[in-house]
Amino acid sequence: MTWQRLDRRTIAVHCAWLVAPLASFVLTLLATGGAVGVRGWLTLAGITLAFLVITIYGVLRLTTTRYRISASTFELNTGVLHRRRRSIVLERVRNVDLTASPVHRVLGLVVLRAGTAASDGGKELVLDALPRATAHRLREELLARADRTHADDPVIATMHWKWLRYAPLTFWVFGGVLIVAGAATRALNGLDIKWWEIGIVQDAFAAFGHSALWLTIPLLALGLTLLGMIGAIAVYVETWWSYRLEWTDAETLQVRRGLLTTRAVSIERRRLRGSRLREPLLLRAGGGALVDAVAGGLGNQEETRRRSSVLPPSPRAEAARVALEVLGLPQGTDPSLRKHPEVAQRRRVVRGFVFVTLPITFVLLLLGFLLTTVLLHVAWIFFLVTAPVAVWMGRDAYRNLGHGISGSHLVIRSGVFSRDTVLLEREGVLSWSFSSNPFSRRAGLVTATAAVAAGEQGYRIRDLAESDAVDFAEAVTPNFLTEFLARPSREVLG
Amino acid sequence: MNLRPPVNRVDPRARRWWSAQAWVSLAGPMLLVALTMFVLSLLFFPKALVWLGPLLVAVLVLPALLYALVMPPWRYRVHAWELGSKAVYAASGWFWQKHRVTPLSRVQTVDTTQGPIQRSFGLATVVVTTASTHGDVKIAGLAAADADELARRIGEAAEVVPGDAT
Repeated sequence: MTWQRLDRRTIAVHCAWLVAPLASFVLTLLATGGAVGVRGWLTLAGITLAFLVITIYGVLRLTTTRYRISASTFELNTGVLHRRRRSIVLERVRNVDLTASPVHRVLGLVVLRAGTAASDGGKELVLDALPRATAHRLREELLARADRTHADDPVIATMHWKWLRYAPLTFWVFGGVLIVAGAATRALNGLDIKWWEIGIVQDAFAAFGHSALWLTIPLLALGLTLLGMIGAIAVYVETWWSYRLEWTDAETLQVRRGLLTTRAVSIERRRLRGSRLREPLLLRAGGGALVDAVAGGLGNQEETRRRSSVLPPSPRAEAARVALEVLGLPQGTDPSLRKHPEVAQRRRVVRGFVFVTLPITFVLLLLGFLLTTVLLHVAWIFFLVTAPVAVWMGRDAYRNLGHGISGSHLVIRSGVFSRDTVLLEREGVLSWSFSSNPFSRRAGLVTATAAVAAGEQGYRIRDLAESDAVDFAEAVTPNFLTEFLARPSREVLG
Repeated sequence: MNLRPPVNRVDPRARRWWSAQAWVSLAGPMLLVALTMFVLSLLFFPKALVWLGPLLVAVLVLPALLYALVMPPWRYRVHAWELGSKAVYAASGWFWQKHRVTPLSRVQTVDTTQGPIQRSFGLATVVVTTASTHGDVKIAGLAAADADELARRIGEAAEVVPGDAT
């Protein structure tokens, strides 16, 4: 194969982000009736300049980027100012991902990423962008010589559209509305339009605002909730369209998903240290859960959080199955978890009062005395409403605490806003920390943290009994704690 | 806790280093702010001193003094380290205390570091890193020579123990 180039239309993709400022410029023109102010001309000049810079850079990049497949390697030359020549051995190619943003799609382009196993630094060669047919051909060619062994039962999970019923139970119901409202406000702001001055809004406010508050508020709440639900479903569909979790070969777990922007994440089995079943409050109430992989080599913390998701919100049973199956564990054994000392419950209830209920009540009372008696009523109502909630949450938080050992894995459960059950490979625990403060010491509790080179790096087992914490850690990872124990080990005592 | 404290204390000079650090980083600035507000109030709003004075003492002066005077000796009581046959063990913190045990087989690098204040006291910190940020061990406040010696010993011990450290 001779040296090949990227597709010319890539420049258009790079210029695509100019569409937004250009559109807002045109909108301003329409809104102001064609009168272009100084600001308008400056904007236009900025856009033109950016267009020129991007185009020139794009042309240079196109002329300097070349790739080829030789007898044994895949080579890539890049760099406008700083020349770079990289190559990967074909046999080492672990995965070839084709992704396309909506703009790429419109132009019939695809971004090709060829990655190797992380053992040699996790090198990734990116070709942005190729015509779709070329990319597919290249992918076949790259994978044809890759040294891959196929997994026996590769597919772990695929999308069921029945799961869509869990979409309204995600953060996006409220978050989505906020984000859309924020974006809309910003857009209107940019056009110098004040939404409360728009005729329709004023008419509506005049008609309902004063006279029928009892009708307006519930209707508004209902409307926002509906809007939120639609948004949440849209986000779910966009994120999880054609979702598929499978072993692409015996060593690589792959998640593919996405409608407009397709994403593919490869996780190496060697660096997969566990799984986490998450049940956020709303989702838990609806009997749903989702699953993250606890894996290394997915990038920095932010990227890891984004890329570790392996199962969308789905029925809890399905989530439990996937959480075990990605780790190759047998099904059906819900591990028996040990409870934490009773004091932990008191601490959780007290925490709710000390950090939420009491301070806010106090502030309301203070303001009430200083300003208006209405706030005094708000204060006692707030206290009466939040007190039972604090108690319930404290109890629930305590109920959710648990830890245990299940074969080769360590199990940790905790959390009330999101009940997380983490399965961690015992082998993967590379250090133990025990932390305490004067309050926890008086209660006889200590928090143990298992360090792993994956996921969130450290997983806490909160509020263990002081007397049990080290013993449990030692049961998980026998050996290295023994020499620092305060007394002879248990076997000696009998 | 069933873990006994690590055998070796850090260098006694560490107390003075921690005080210096406390004054430079937190207590000093807090007192300065309090003083500035006091002087400004004295010059321009003398009437406000009645309530501003006690407020400044309660919110800035007392916490600053408490921190600078209590933290160093408390820290000194807690901080300790030990190099075992299979793992390195360190205790740190004061109000919030942490005991960490990291096996030598998981050690990736061992360094000594020395900040400007630390250098003036002839102290150094040994930093043992692992593949996880929650596994890293820091032993702060050792005499510089001891720190180098300890770093060398941990490095040697880690080499002897087999394993790929992940």
